Amino acid sequence: MTGTATLIRLIVRRDRVPLLVWIAISAVLPAGIASGTTALYPDQAARDAFATESLGSPAQLATRGPIYAASVGGLTAWTLGSSLALIGGLISILLVIRHTRGEEETGRRELLSAGVVGRHAPLAAALAVVCTANLLLGLLAVPALVASGLPAGSSLLFGLSTAAGGWAFAAVAAVTAQLTAASGPARGIAIATGGLLYALRSLADTGGAAWLAWLSPFGWVRLTKPYAGDRWWVLGLVAVFVAALTAAAFRLSTRRDVAGGLVPTRPGPDTGALSGAFGLAARLHRGALVGFTTGFGLMGALLGVAARGLDAQLDTPRFRELATTIAGADARVSDVFFTFVMYVLSQLVAAAALVSALRARGEEAVGRAELLLSTPVGRLRWGLSHLVFALVSPVLLLTVLGAAAGLGYDGDIARVTAATLAHLPAVWTVVGIAALLFGVLPRAAVAVSWTALGLFLLVDLLAEFKLASGFVLALSPFTHVPAVLLGGASAPVAPLLWLTAVAGTLTAVGLVLLRRRDLAPAT
Amino acid sequence: MSAAVRVDGLVKTFGRTRALDGLDLTVTAGEVHGFLGPNGAGKTTTIRVLLGQVRADGGRVELLGGDPWQDAVELHRRLAYVPGDVTLWPSLTGGEVIDLLGRLRGGLDPGRRAELLERFELDPRKKCRTYSKGNRQKVALVAAFASDVELLVLDEPTSGLDPLMETLFNECVLEEKRRGRTVLLSSHILSEVEALCDRVSIIRAGRTVESGSLADLRQLTRTTVRAELIGPAPQLAALPGVHDLAVSDGRLSCQVDGDALTPVLAELARVGVRALTTQPPTLEELFLRHYTGATR
Repeated sequence: MTGTATLIRLIVRRDRVPLLVWIAISAVLPAGIASGTTALYPDQAARDAFATESLGSPAQLATRGPIYAASVGGLTAWTLGSSLALIGGLISILLVIRHTRGEEETGRRELLSAGVVGRHAPLAAALAVVCTANLLLGLLAVPALVASGLPAGSSLLFGLSTAAGGWAFAAVAAVTAQLTAASGPARGIAIATGGLLYALRSLADTGGAAWLAWLSPFGWVRLTKPYAGDRWWVLGLVAVFVAALTAAAFRLSTRRDVAGGLVPTRPGPDTGALSGAFGLAARLHRGALVGFTTGFGLMGALLGVAARGLDAQLDTPRFRELATTIAGADARVSDVFFTFVMYVLSQLVAAAALVSALRARGEEAVGRAELLLSTPVGRLRWGLSHLVFALVSPVLLLTVLGAAAGLGYDGDIARVTAATLAHLPAVWTVVGIAALLFGVLPRAAVAVSWTALGLFLLVDLLAEFKLASGFVLALSPFTHVPAVLLGGASAPVAPLLWLTAVAGTLTAVGLVLLRRRDLAPAT
Repeated sequence: MSAAVRVDGLVKTFGRTRALDGLDLTVTAGEVHGFLGPNGAGKTTTIRVLLGQVRADGGRVELLGGDPWQDAVELHRRLAYVPGDVTLWPSLTGGEVIDLLGRLRGGLDPGRRAELLERFELDPRKKCRTYSKGNRQKVALVAAFASDVELLVLDEPTSGLDPLMETLFNECVLEEKRRGRTVLLSSHILSEVEALCDRVSIIRAGRTVESGSLADLRQLTRTTVRAELIGPAPQLAALPGVHDLAVSDGRLSCQVDGDALTPVLAELARVGVRALTTQPPTLEELFLRHYTGATR
């Protein structure tokens, strides 16, 4: 463990900006939602009505779980409990992998390990930073929640529950970082594990077996029930989970070489058949594409089957009323459910497309583009070879998602696939933003692209709480997607056309500017 | 002889930093040209301009008769580049990378590829993730040497190789030269430069401070002269090109500029010497003088 303190300072120094932004936003959000709730639903009757309406919606149950108390605190915990755990979990995974396996992969770990740094220090330092950040954002949220009139004890429990989500997935990542020599698969396995545990909680809360929620950290962060009985002991489950996984990670790390994985690297072919820039790009994007396609296919199938039984189950007066206000009297309630879920999933597809779109920047940053571009490969060809995958991957993912969901749902694959593919232009717009940034501000492209996607998600969240409207709402491409399932053949096509035009223009301008700028390696 | 590379007054700025400040460089076709300078002098930036990866802010740059920025793709068919810090695709094997780069450059000579792999003792079946720095460099070198190109641009290509492999590298460069290829070699290793280079250019702080053959450069520097005197002290102090003159107990030592040696020797002969040694400048002295920027 020698050297852990020094490594902690190094990590904080390298990531101080993203750490601060993440902590600040996560700490401020709860009080914001609490005051929003107070403003929107000023009396108990209004809050009860809202809670009944939300509990009638399986989409809400799937994403957020049940409402344990229709108080301001209870509604705040319901709105943010799962979302903050999801965001905190994802960021924790990315950070832990970056500072453990990522460092080994680039060889920087070797440099440090040669110094007075204990074998366990890098993992210990990464976990210390990430867990402290999670704790901080949880604790910092408390004073603001108390200031907006919520009880201190419950607010503290809510803050710690939020932190617990991050802790759990930091521990998951600590284990997966030991498995493979490359950081991509380690990150992928951790995120897939997170997805699975989230799906487990969704399933439990949408009428499946409720006990399933007890098997998932995403369940635990809600089952502490802040503002609704305060079950502190549930945090103990998180502690056991985190302690067990962390111990396992440290044990696994003693069984492997630095820079090696538990899964050994096998030798490959001695000659290659890669035919050029596009062949190389195909090879580089292949793994992620197969992984994402499988993931979205499974998710679609699960959703389709789950939605099949919903029509009968959901035919409550409240949800019928909700469905009617959204989609008119003759809409099927399950269609309303599907429309909402597709909306959320399309943003996940956008995240997957963004990973592909930013790969070229990654190649440039580490210096591999320099070698490739010293051969007769032009900038345009190189940029396109990666962007093509960013543009094609959402087509594939949305099609697979729609087809699998349609198959499980009512067998009408064409109708559901059309509904998912309607999100394509919005996803392309996100890709276009990344392409433009890659052409103009290569060094900032990764951070700014993800921030943009994050802001679109925030706009949607604010819109739901009626805190954003008109102009602000129009900023997110996802708000322009027509609800094909609800509108039938009369769904407006115009937004699809102009979003595609915007995406195309952004991408083209990005590529043109890429040809005109200097290559910008990270060092 | 035509010039493979012709750079006049090249300027490149990054923000407020003036990385290249009027740099000149001429590489004649068929020669091995050493490109020398301390860290941060602008060697890699110059190479990036030559490869069309960054755009020149001023001056004239010509590569194989074309404009490296405008005609990048066409020109790259005729050159191979080995970067100083080779990063490769971690999931590909060395063999796959060699074949990819070779195919992009218009095809590899399979016989030469096999021969080079054997001589460099490189296992092409290993994933690039598992290669050491030296082995990654070998991958890039094999791909470059086995390609059918006119110009090799090598940026400190031996920094990760062991001494045996360095010797092998020198052999390969000389073979390339015999095949009539031009080599631009940025290097810090003086024995390598002495063994390989026909001409060298030394740059410092983004400017060329010296360019010519090694013999030319030696001519431009001082020779150390030591003598044991028979008679009275000679009148050397007044002669031009004599520096650091010291006489004590009949022993004399001084530094003499290359073109001022004859009058110094004549004066020494006039007063008579019992012993005389002259020592030409070593390469180290030559480079150190330019690197540290001492006045001549």
